[in-house]
Amino acid sequence: MVLVVVPLLFGVIEFGWLFQRWLATQSVAAHAARYAGELGGDEPSLRAFIARELADVGIDPTRVEIDVAPTRVGWRDPVRVTVRAQERIDLPFILSTTVPISASAIARGELQR
Amino acid sequence: MRSDERGSIAVTVALLLPLLLTTLVGVVQLGALRVIAAKVASAADLATLAATDDQDQSALVRTGSLRLAPDAVAVARTFFALNLSTIAPLLATTPVSVAAQAEIAAFADVPAVDPLTGWRYEHPTVRIAVDVPVRTPVFGVVLPTTMTVRVRSASAPR
Repeated sequence: MVLVVVPLLFGVIEFGWLFQRWLATQSVAAHAARYAGELGGDEPSLRAFIARELADVGIDPTRVEIDVAPTRVGWRDPVRVTVRAQERIDLPFILSTTVPISASAIARGELQR
Repeated sequence: MRSDERGSIAVTVALLLPLLLTTLVGVVQLGALRVIAAKVASAADLATLAATDDQDQSALVRTGSLRLAPDAVAVARTFFALNLSTIAPLLATTPVSVAAQAEIAAFADVPAVDPLTGWRYEHPTVRIAVDVPVRTPVFGVVLPTTMTVRVRSASAPR
């Protein structure tokens, strides 16, 4: 019975944790896309902003891959920010693995050069 | 523990295991649905924000007040489709189709009351209202209809 109930209990907890991270990553991507639109593309201040936002929601920024496309966005053009993280889940007696989490958001370039 | 008690526990586990596993799968599917709903809402928010970020420059110079750009509705629709494309595998139809069916309205003259939502706008506003069909493999087995996520989003320039 323990072999069944314990993994089930941990499964509910770990997947809840995973969903929370997934939602948090989506939120960070959306904020970052808007900021990238204001800045006109990929800038060090955008990277710093994303790192701060990730740290605030409990995600280690050093283990996250960030992609901004295009790196220099024109006025009124779309800019996409993608945040990819590797989250670890542990289910006793069954498995321990990392699950890729990815979130993208697209905003509009606001910088008129 | 006596041998007949061990047998009783084995029967109990055998009877309860399908129920426990079904519950677990249902919980995971509900969680996934919650994530999809949040992503669709985020896509609508980003679309309305993109539409209101750009104002009618000539009207701003002429009147000194913020006015929506003439293409605000088209911009909202385009960016809604673009943002939905990032979650396309989770949708039951194409992002372009969802965006095309979305009820997108621009309220340039304010104050105004939205006839669809009943919301009152004090600033020029772009609103998206749409029911998005989503993929729910587990619920799809037991429910005959496609599940939809209802989204209402509005943004105004400040």
